[in-house]
Amino acid sequence: MTELLFKIIIIGDPTVGKTSFIQRYVNDSFRRDYKMTIGVDFALKVVKWTENQMIKLQLWDIAGQERFTSMTRVYYKDAHACVIMFDLTQRSTFQNAVNWKKDLDSKCSLTDGTPVPCLLLANKCDLSHREVEQSEIEKICREHDFIGWTEISVKEGIMIEEPMRFLMEEMMIKHTEMEGFSESMRQAASNPEAIHLKQQSTVLATQSGCGC
Amino acid sequence: MDEGCDGTGLCIDTGDGEFMEISLHSRNSFERKKNPSQDSGFEDRGSKSKKKGLSVSDFLTSRRILFSLSVSQNFFVKFVSHYGFEESKEVNRLRKAKESEDDAEQGWKLFGRIPPKQAPDKDPQQITQEFQNKLRSVAQPKNSKKSDIEVMSTTALILENRPQNLPTKDPEEAEKHRQQYEAMVEAARKKELKELKMKKKQKQQQLKNEDKVVCAAKRWTDEILPNWETMKSQKKTRELWWHGIPTNVQGRVWQLAFGNDLNVTNELYEICCSRADDRIRMTIESSEIYGNSETSSEPPSSKESSVELIKLDVSRTFPQLCIFQKGGPYYDLLHSLLGAYACYRPDVGYVQGMSFIAAVLLLNMDVADAFVCFANLLNRPCQVAFFRVDEELMKVYFHTFEEFFDENMPGLYSHFKKHKVTPDLYITEWIFALFSKSLPLDIACRVWDVFCRDGEEFLFRTALGILKMYEDLLLHMDFCNLVQLLTKIPEDISGDTLFKHIDTIRMNIDKKRFNQVLAVNKES
Repeated sequence: MTELLFKIIIIGDPTVGKTSFIQRYVNDSFRRDYKMTIGVDFALKVVKWTENQMIKLQLWDIAGQERFTSMTRVYYKDAHACVIMFDLTQRSTFQNAVNWKKDLDSKCSLTDGTPVPCLLLANKCDLSHREVEQSEIEKICREHDFIGWTEISVKEGIMIEEPMRFLMEEMMIKHTEMEGFSESMRQAASNPEAIHLKQQSTVLATQSGCGC
Repeated sequence: MDEGCDGTGLCIDTGDGEFMEISLHSRNSFERKKNPSQDSGFEDRGSKSKKKGLSVSDFLTSRRILFSLSVSQNFFVKFVSHYGFEESKEVNRLRKAKESEDDAEQGWKLFGRIPPKQAPDKDPQQITQEFQNKLRSVAQPKNSKKSDIEVMSTTALILENRPQNLPTKDPEEAEKHRQQYEAMVEAARKKELKELKMKKKQKQQQLKNEDKVVCAAKRWTDEILPNWETMKSQKKTRELWWHGIPTNVQGRVWQLAFGNDLNVTNELYEICCSRADDRIRMTIESSEIYGNSETSSEPPSSKESSVELIKLDVSRTFPQLCIFQKGGPYYDLLHSLLGAYACYRPDVGYVQGMSFIAAVLLLNMDVADAFVCFANLLNRPCQVAFFRVDEELMKVYFHTFEEFFDENMPGLYSHFKKHKVTPDLYITEWIFALFSKSLPLDIACRVWDVFCRDGEEFLFRTALGILKMYEDLLLHMDFCNLVQLLTKIPEDISGDTLFKHIDTIRMNIDKKRFNQVLAVNKES
């Protein structure tokens, strides 16, 4: 049985439901009275991926107030994936989702230099009042390189597992690619003519420890 | 009594005017029944029986009842019908049990735990009966009014007639057994007395604690508060202070301790309040015009959004108290206070964490006083650094904290380093909300008490105290568990335990106090 550990950060405006989403995903529970998150909270979810593969997801629930964004760089570090959430009933949170994505991409990327895989979740789809059209979400999703989006309802427990599963698949693909990449790097590094690649391989070696 | 005994014959008139109640509580009655070989062995052994626990059963001839158990037959029948068991079946069984007892003649039985090796395999019926017995033993105390007898029920002895087929006891042996019996009674009485004493002691301790609180409250109101300036730095006062300020004067002491260097007045609060109301009205109106912010891809300016956020956060402040939520008595007050502050200090605005601080103040004083306190509290250097999210300055605080961490718990510190658990991951929330979001409210208030005595140094000392309290546990945890524990401190922690650990934290490095180390770090 092998075990993989992934760090996933959850970001988005205040009260879009980040903490609720994590609680629903990890404990399958829902409360109306969460306290706000200050700084960062943590949760762990263990998933049996295949017969001999466990995946541990380290979920970083990051405070949503814009004021804290300067502090978030250290929280983003070494993330394998990201979930950006917004509230379908509050248009401003949708507009800010793009800013969160920009903020993420400006502060971190994967070890191979590609952007951190990022999912866009539109919460509170159980409410009748809505301020965002599906076509708009679709448009933003394509324009800003989200790997996908879906409407969810944390309260009703709708579409909680599915997007996370999708995200894990994405991470597994990346992981396998990088294993191969890292392998070819190692071979290249042993080749004295490929000195310029050596630096990259050291970066990889330190990254494989990846704070997790 | 006769009625109750009818059909079961378990109450036996012993002939000298006393009733013998054979306790149904005993497991022994069925033990005997289901294990006749043991019983017969015990009969045969007669007066020479040395078997532990049974040796007392064969020596006395007296027909006196020594102890009667509190469960009467009456109650058992009631119990049985109450729980809907088949009475006749039960009665039958009891009769059988009685018969077997008759067979065995009467003797002494020692009540207590049955050694495991004596417990043979049980058939389902026995298990049922055992369960009933268990139920009954749980229900028993409620039905017993004589608490002194109740104490005996687990170790009680029942004297039954000396079996007739046994030879009369040798007087010497009888005397010996009498003494043994008296010793047992004496031991039981002593145990009971001891328990009584314990209870008394506990009660006394409780009274003493209450007295202490009353006494402390008196000292605060009569001696310290009237002479605040002279008394506040006296050693005696500071000692009393460490144990927490009595709730009736807490707000007053906080006010005095936080001071009012900013000269904030009640009028200023009123002005800020009304301005905040206007602004909120404006934002609501502007947001009602759909598409107002449509064109801007920039986030709304932080001032506006922070006023918006107040609305969202007030309800998320101490949700378990249900008083800051919409419709609750403190909803409007908390809202006004935070709104007023955002107007008073537009450069700071509203920052998450503030709502908890404001809420704690509101719980201890009226809203205008709370505003004065709030403004002055947030003007302290550490709070200025954090609430303005001055990253550089926050780093200096984190770094200074780490130095004291290393000084006090080098082992744990290197463990944290190894797992890359940096202070910004867990201490941020503690400092922003002054522990009121992370610790139970009463303990958080006690931290505040000493915080207003010792200043910001105490916040970091408390943080180290928490780490110290969980040191052994933390040393065996990995990253995930470490950060999860520290960001969700168990709710059942004891204030006294925490303060004992805080007390062990030394806030000196090479004779330099926290503030001095901080100043050095600020410069470098």
